[in-house]
Amino acid sequence: MSEVAGSPPAAARVPDPAEVVVRIRGLGKAFRGHLGIGRTVAVDGLDLEVRRGEIFGLLGPNGAGKTTTLKMLLGLVRPDRGEVLLFGLPPSDPRARARLGYLPENPYFYDHLTAAEFLDFYARLRGIPADERRVRVPRALERVGLGDRAGTPLRKLSKGMTQRLGLAQAIGHDPELVILDEPMSGLDPVGRREVRDRILELREAGRTVFFSSHILQDAEMICDRVAILDRGRLRWEGALRDLVSRNVRWFEVEVVGALPPDVPCERVSREGERHLVQVADVGRLARLIDAVQRAGGQVVSVWPRRETLEDLFLRELGRPPGRAEGPR
Amino acid sequence: MSAPAPARVPPPWAAIVAIGLNTFREAIRDRILYLLLVFALVVIGASRLLSLLTVGSEDKIIKDLGLSAISIFGVMTAGFMGVSLVFKEIERRTVYTLLANPVRRWQFVTGKFAGLLSVLVLNVTLMYAALAVLLWIRGEQPLALAPAVLLTGVELAVVTAFALLFSSLTNPILAAVWTFAVYVTGHLVWSVRLLGERLPPGFARGTCEALYWLLPNLDRMNVRAEVVHGIALPDGFLAVSALYGASYTVVVLALASLALERKDFA
Amino acid sequence: MHRLAAWVLVAAAVASTAVSGLVAERMAAGRDEARSLLYLPNGKHLRTISLGHAPLLADFVYLWAIQFYSDYDREERFQYVEHVFSDVIAELDPRFVDAYWLGAMILIVEAGRLDDGLALLERGFERNPDQWILPYLAGWEAWMARQPARAAEYFRQASAVPGAPVLTRRMQAGMLRRAGDERTALGLWRELLEDPASDEASRAIASRKVRELEGTVLLAGVREAVERYRSETGALPRSLEALAQRGYLSAVPRDPSGRPFHYDPRTGRVAPPSGRVLGGDE
Repeated sequence: MSEVAGSPPAAARVPDPAEVVVRIRGLGKAFRGHLGIGRTVAVDGLDLEVRRGEIFGLLGPNGAGKTTTLKMLLGLVRPDRGEVLLFGLPPSDPRARARLGYLPENPYFYDHLTAAEFLDFYARLRGIPADERRVRVPRALERVGLGDRAGTPLRKLSKGMTQRLGLAQAIGHDPELVILDEPMSGLDPVGRREVRDRILELREAGRTVFFSSHILQDAEMICDRVAILDRGRLRWEGALRDLVSRNVRWFEVEVVGALPPDVPCERVSREGERHLVQVADVGRLARLIDAVQRAGGQVVSVWPRRETLEDLFLRELGRPPGRAEGPR
Repeated sequence: MSAPAPARVPPPWAAIVAIGLNTFREAIRDRILYLLLVFALVVIGASRLLSLLTVGSEDKIIKDLGLSAISIFGVMTAGFMGVSLVFKEIERRTVYTLLANPVRRWQFVTGKFAGLLSVLVLNVTLMYAALAVLLWIRGEQPLALAPAVLLTGVELAVVTAFALLFSSLTNPILAAVWTFAVYVTGHLVWSVRLLGERLPPGFARGTCEALYWLLPNLDRMNVRAEVVHGIALPDGFLAVSALYGASYTVVVLALASLALERKDFA
Repeated sequence: MHRLAAWVLVAAAVASTAVSGLVAERMAAGRDEARSLLYLPNGKHLRTISLGHAPLLADFVYLWAIQFYSDYDREERFQYVEHVFSDVIAELDPRFVDAYWLGAMILIVEAGRLDDGLALLERGFERNPDQWILPYLAGWEAWMARQPARAAEYFRQASAVPGAPVLTRRMQAGMLRRAGDERTALGLWRELLEDPASDEASRAIASRKVRELEGTVLLAGVREAVERYRSETGALPRSLEALAQRGYLSAVPRDPSGRPFHYDPRTGRVAPPSGRVLGGDE
């Protein structure tokens, strides 16, 4: 496991500059507090690269600096130091932004517009001429299942519908790079599945996806590479498989009845007669089962586990992901 | 795997029109617009009643009240809508999605301005039409008032630009206060000059002179008294005045663009 | 129970409002609220706070003034008329012609202050030199007040405005005559007669006046010459021809109908030919 971000160790793949879609070097940003008193460092010395065709996850607890990083990526915030390059251009250059699509977290939209007017507006901002818009806007509405809602004002649509509409706005013009801020927050499992499928579709089509999230399970399922931020600093960057082993790491066993004292295992929890314990390998597993049966207890279930990002978090950061940093 | 669509940067006018149209739609669907418009039309209608109280000069009163109503309600509309224009986008974060697109910030400011100005032009036209009908019924010639209405439109453009500037800098309430201050100052600039003339030459006098030229002189766009009394304006005054107002507007919009350019949308 | 109490409270509040309102109204009957508007600040200051809507403010003050000054029950309502019209309305909207006229009417007709009224009209004319109506009205008022010389001057001012109607010159001439300056009056009537811009009616009047005055002026001239002769030589001339020969008259005087004047060398009296009083028909 690499402690510090860096390029993957062996199998040296010479990074082809043409392939790097997003390059961040030494990025730093601090905000001054109210009335100029105090200073909060949001991002401190960030290096990262996103390559063409991959799904990249920017992960970390709330307040880690993910949103600020994303905003610097889009040119909404100017960094204090370091640089951001999209397709080799700074985000302030409209040509760079012409090649990306963006969906913010909890998007607020112009609720006075109808769904069709909404998509038409962003299509115009992308320089799509009128005749093309006439065709593409209805098609985009159809694709996200809002074909019959073209004339409905946004404030009358449900959250799920506006989310779909927002996604249509972000990817409707088929950008090379799609940037999503917490795309799955606030969605039910069906909605999250839909978003995941969309992102995978994008990769199939050769597009690059960059998203931020504090829900690690979602990231685990689809990311090629991740970067983990904590308190503005980069903790890990690399391919997911390098960070998290795919091998079975330990077993979780549920036992009912007495727990034999001499078997090396870690107790996870206990509820009356039911114990949940952890054993490190197959050998110890066998001994545990044997010992429990001999003691007259029952092994209810055996669950092989591999380390997840969440485990990694808990272990390294000492706290569950999603919980922001307490007072220093 | 398919080739991505060509990435296009829209020409500036296309971005401005898109944002302007959006702003126009938003303003048109804002109820406060109708409130003020109805108020204005009522006042114009009431001028007919008011004229019953007078001895002679009925038409003067209708014209004075009508033109002043157009100006006052126009400025109120420009102020109320302008101060929240940029602020709302920032508050609601719609500006994030907007600026993530290949548009520049000055296009954003100009588009917002264009949208609001279009609404104001519509407003002023409706009010003028109502006044014109009232005067035409009485056998007066409403077209003579056109220069005053036109210059009032220019005045509204200046006020709107300021409202937009302040909206980019602070919250709507403070922005409204500042805009109102600019409006009042704009109509008192002439007294600054008078003050300067009474002072002995020196720093204070120089400051007065400088202020007189720097501050927006909104009275230059006030020809209501002249059109009502049928006094001819100097040749070309209309054009020069309008040019002054338009130029000032451009300067203020440039300042607003600058303010937004440097802003971090944290 | 609470419901009832609430309703009672509301009813009591309504009743209290009504009653106290009525009582206050009665008590305030003595107060004259409109009066306070008399103490308007000078128009120059009002102009500043009007923020570009000065003419409208002038209209409002004007409307109020009409209501105020037509209320005959008011006592001492003519204090401050000049202030209202001259210092406030005129300062707010110097071109508001009707206001000068109305203020002057109030002053002259209602308050009986001719000079103040005329001063207001003069002020209005100063600021509106194209409005011949203002000195014209002043002329009328001066005439009604039997000051024809003053009236004549006003009518002269009115006629000097380009585009002023012929009427103003007629009035001027008429006033001059009443003031006793027949010579100038005659000159004016002659001008009017010869002016191609004069209309038919004016020309007819002018022609009549010229005929009336010619004889009178001529007669006065002859009489004047006799007096000059007498004061210079101490004696009366023998005849009018002698006067002419001596150069006291440019020619032997004849009246407009061609007949000679009657001259009595004993008394020095000059009389018109048939003893008829000139200025009769024709």
